[in-house]
Amino acid sequence: MPANKETRRMRMLGAWGVWAAKHWVSALLIALGITVLLGLGLSRLRLELTYYSLMPKDSPKVRDLQNIVETFPAASSIVVVLKAENSADRDRARQTITAAVDSIVVELSRPEYAASIVRVQGRFDLDYIREHGLILSKKEDIERFQRMFTDLNLVPLITHLNDDFEREYSGNEKKLSEEEEQTSGQLEGLGKIIGLMSAAAADGNGRETDPEELSAGLDQFIFGSPYFLNRDGTMAVLFIQPAFTINDLERVVAEIPELEHIIKNKVRTLGVTAGLTGLLVVMKDEIITSEQGLGISMIIAVVLILLLMILSFRMYSAPFISGIPLLIGILWTAGLAGWVMGRLNILSAMYMVALVGLGIDYAIHLLTAYVQEREHGLTVAESVLQSVRKSGPGILTGALTTAIAFFALQVAKSQMVKELGIVAGLGILCELASMFIILPALLGFRGSRLARKGKSDSELLRRVGLRYSWIPVLGERVSRRPAIFAAIMLAAAILVGTQAGKVQVEGNIMNMEAKGLESIELQDQMVKEFGMAPDTMSVTETNLQQMREIEKKIDKLESVKTVDSIVPYFPSPEEQSLRAEQALRFRRQILALGPDETLDREQLGSQLQRLEDNLLEMSDLAFAGGMDKLLDKLNRLTGRDATGEKIAKTDLDRLILELETNESGSASGLIRLQQQFVPSLQAILLPMSNPEAIGLDMVPPDIRDTYVSSDGHDFLMNIIPTGNPWDENFRSVFTNQIATVTERATGLVLVADQMTEIAQHDGVRAAVTALLVIFLLLVLDFRNIKLALATLLPLCLSFLSLFGIMSLAGIKFDFINIIAVPLLIGIGVDDAVHFNHRYLLEGKGNMPLVVARTGKAVLLTSVTTIIGFASFIPSIMRAMRSTGIVLSIAMALAYLFAILLHPAVLIIMAERLGLNIHPWTSRRKK
Amino acid sequence: MKVLPLLLITISSLFAATAGAQDAGQIVRQAEKPFIGNKIYSVSEMTVYRSGSARPTQVVEGYTMDEGGRSYSLTLYLEPARMKGTAYLIIDNDLWVRFASTGRIRKLSSSAKKNSAGGTDFSYSDMGDSGQGIAKKYQATLENRDVIVAERKCFQIALTPRTGQEDTYEKLVAYIDQQNYRYLKIDYIQSGAVIKSLTFSDYRNTDGRDYPFQMIMESHTQPSRTEVVTKRVEFDSTKVEEDMFTISYLQRIQ
Repeated sequence: MPANKETRRMRMLGAWGVWAAKHWVSALLIALGITVLLGLGLSRLRLELTYYSLMPKDSPKVRDLQNIVETFPAASSIVVVLKAENSADRDRARQTITAAVDSIVVELSRPEYAASIVRVQGRFDLDYIREHGLILSKKEDIERFQRMFTDLNLVPLITHLNDDFEREYSGNEKKLSEEEEQTSGQLEGLGKIIGLMSAAAADGNGRETDPEELSAGLDQFIFGSPYFLNRDGTMAVLFIQPAFTINDLERVVAEIPELEHIIKNKVRTLGVTAGLTGLLVVMKDEIITSEQGLGISMIIAVVLILLLMILSFRMYSAPFISGIPLLIGILWTAGLAGWVMGRLNILSAMYMVALVGLGIDYAIHLLTAYVQEREHGLTVAESVLQSVRKSGPGILTGALTTAIAFFALQVAKSQMVKELGIVAGLGILCELASMFIILPALLGFRGSRLARKGKSDSELLRRVGLRYSWIPVLGERVSRRPAIFAAIMLAAAILVGTQAGKVQVEGNIMNMEAKGLESIELQDQMVKEFGMAPDTMSVTETNLQQMREIEKKIDKLESVKTVDSIVPYFPSPEEQSLRAEQALRFRRQILALGPDETLDREQLGSQLQRLEDNLLEMSDLAFAGGMDKLLDKLNRLTGRDATGEKIAKTDLDRLILELETNESGSASGLIRLQQQFVPSLQAILLPMSNPEAIGLDMVPPDIRDTYVSSDGHDFLMNIIPTGNPWDENFRSVFTNQIATVTERATGLVLVADQMTEIAQHDGVRAAVTALLVIFLLLVLDFRNIKLALATLLPLCLSFLSLFGIMSLAGIKFDFINIIAVPLLIGIGVDDAVHFNHRYLLEGKGNMPLVVARTGKAVLLTSVTTIIGFASFIPSIMRAMRSTGIVLSIAMALAYLFAILLHPAVLIIMAERLGLNIHPWTSRRKK
Repeated sequence: MKVLPLLLITISSLFAATAGAQDAGQIVRQAEKPFIGNKIYSVSEMTVYRSGSARPTQVVEGYTMDEGGRSYSLTLYLEPARMKGTAYLIIDNDLWVRFASTGRIRKLSSSAKKNSAGGTDFSYSDMGDSGQGIAKKYQATLENRDVIVAERKCFQIALTPRTGQEDTYEKLVAYIDQQNYRYLKIDYIQSGAVIKSLTFSDYRNTDGRDYPFQMIMESHTQPSRTEVVTKRVEFDSTKVEEDMFTISYLQRIQ
């Protein structure tokens, strides 16, 4: 029978409490034994504090991603972003940046870094293009080449160049934009060539043009710039392939900071600044900031709570009596987590800190009752017995409801919420066990020490301890006017709750990282400056032809900047065969050419005027299209400023003038240049027109290793987006468009989608389950449905108010702080439960006494819980900070509704409306 | 016996579908009224925002005409100084550009109509079709009668390209105010995703038409949006003359 059952339970606990207080050595040894046993689990425990580790392992896309990470190590690249310190002088900035790139590549390629770095790429490898350029080019590009280089002499070359510009770019802003990078590089080369032509035309002494300068100019004209530069050439990126992947978290945390240090040290004297970004770097930052955040939070929480304990109980030993079982409870929890799951994820690790504020609740209830009994003159053992009897039922019910509510999180879909449920439930039970096993023993120890020394409780603390005399006053007021208190709290909840529906879910996972993290800020900078994000989606294929088909389709998508794979570097045998024919024809064409002995000065002048017009029109398009990099080059070539006004004379102007006036015998100078120009250009074009078929083994190792698995069976394609894939709105467009081509794309950005899914669905699912379970437990405990429902009312109003406040304050739910919902359900009901038990014990008309007796403990438990959660607020990691804020608000609301509304509702129900709130078994007995 | 109920159900469904389709068509026609007209003259300010930063505002004069079953459109840039004198002429699917810097005129391929106009988030096609209404090339289907957009109850109409039409998007989804049949938003869908959205605001009565004086085209694939503020719009305007839509007119522009 319930009454007997309750007495038996309390008798057993009471008996243990008395025994432990009297035989505290033995009791502590038992606790030690348990600690050793559970503590062995700690050796199995890993901290996995990354969002990556939260991904559902059974998802096909996650498995694909893990396969990519393991099979294609180059997929885990570190991106180094360099910025020229002085960007006012663009030419100088560009020279500084490119020199810095070369310098860093040399430095990081040294053997001493080989253990950490597989490869560093600061520029595009042109040698492969030099040797197989035409085989690697599309049919239409080869045809373009053939048209442009029909004749390598100056006049026909410039004429064909003009034809090409007009055919390809005139009015075609889209094409210009797509080829902006390439065209910018070529224009630089063109500028150098025109400079050499101008010098040759003006030189009356017949000096030879510097062959190296000529080669460099032609090289740049054909191949563009090999560096990865931003729009105005003041920034560059390098790619480091590390010797570890995102699966090697320990190496990520240890070696990336070292690399960062080396690089930043190196660039100090180079006139540039450097920053690192990319998934590995963000992950490293996540781990470090999480650990820092958790560490600091734990210390703050423990210190504040223990201080509160001293002041509240007026015992210097309060921190030890409550703190020792508290910390041992946490140790037991960690040990059990090691045995059961082997790891703590970011949610369950945060929970361990919150456990400081939760576990102390049991100590507070026990110590409150103990101190009250001691103040009535009972002995230590008698006080322990009474404190267990009086506060025990409430503690047990509260702990069990909370633990079961947490275990009920197994209904969640996501692994991380399930794991949190296990750790949280175990944590509550471990703290409960720890308090009941150890706290009476410590009280006995303290009592015997004081008795031996002939001392009593500290006089000082009696004077300075916290006073709670306002609590009984509040109890009186609520008892006298329950309807008013109930109405005010209800109205407040409804008022704030009207905004509840507007609370939003965070769509950008990067907004949850620590603010101001360089690795995150550089992601946005890369989108802005380079038009691409460092984080991509990837597809693997075993069939290369299939990959070619997919790539063609994906490349056309509006949200895709470019697609990287082995495909451009290894055309299909059919394509190679067709191109080989074209390459051979081109080769024969080039071989048959030779430098002319003559030059039509007027014709050249006319074509140069036409060239200037083409460049001006391209600059109009570049201006309108916001192609600043191209516009800058074009303005320099044409001597114009940002508004299009002619401000300077250029090499082109001088050359045209020379040709018109012919003062220095311009034609002869140019003919001399032509004698060098044609063979130099032939020397570049002939190797490019090599018709030899390319085998996979001929592709440069750095390209092959990036896109082909080590066993040669799988091929990787990286899809680079036009926007930031961590932004929810853009990601939706990006993933939906890719899905129209293939369902097999994967990437860490998908984590964001899955995490948002968790926030939206798992949180709700967990909350509903926890609510149902709690309700059942309340019915079982109180054996009264009306009372069970009334107990849930403050909780429900807390929720409504919480959502309303979050909406008003602009705080969004994310997949971390959404866990506040089931936590609030599990913990928030405890205060009302304690009031219920005490009210049933004290009887009708005694609510002031109930509030006076229970109010202090309820207040303290709420404050300590709030401290536990609020300790996350100083964290630099925004996810932790927002969780701390949300949970603190939630707990504060739960307390306010418990102390101001719940007693009023109980009085209205039991005393005004005459409803029976007693257990139905006691009614049957009557 | 079994055939009759089936027949009745089929006929009812067809009727419902037809009724739905007619409703959608009527709704769109009503919404299109302010935009359809002959000899439309307008002056607009267009500002492109890239990654949050504003590019120099473009001031353009627009002239459109429908004549002899052909559509004509001339866009002339007045500002900024760099673009003053640049002009685009569209006659059906043909497109010419006049460059301010050189005075030369180039004919572009018809595929260029899909390209961005003047670096904005509007294509030449988006701008050139304005005199015929937005939905001329599309057929309408009512998807939802009660959708809230900008705190207004709207019809959600799906617009899919009519057969044989070129320069169209895969689909448009238009949100039309239930009360006053104003376009409030249009989503442009390509390759399964909304790639840009056009919102309409600042409706004013002009020439007896309820016309939006502000339109914002926001790209969802680039960090970019274009705000268009109409300074002036005239329907059946005497400023629009037939000879404006010729190459020789482009040559005469200063």
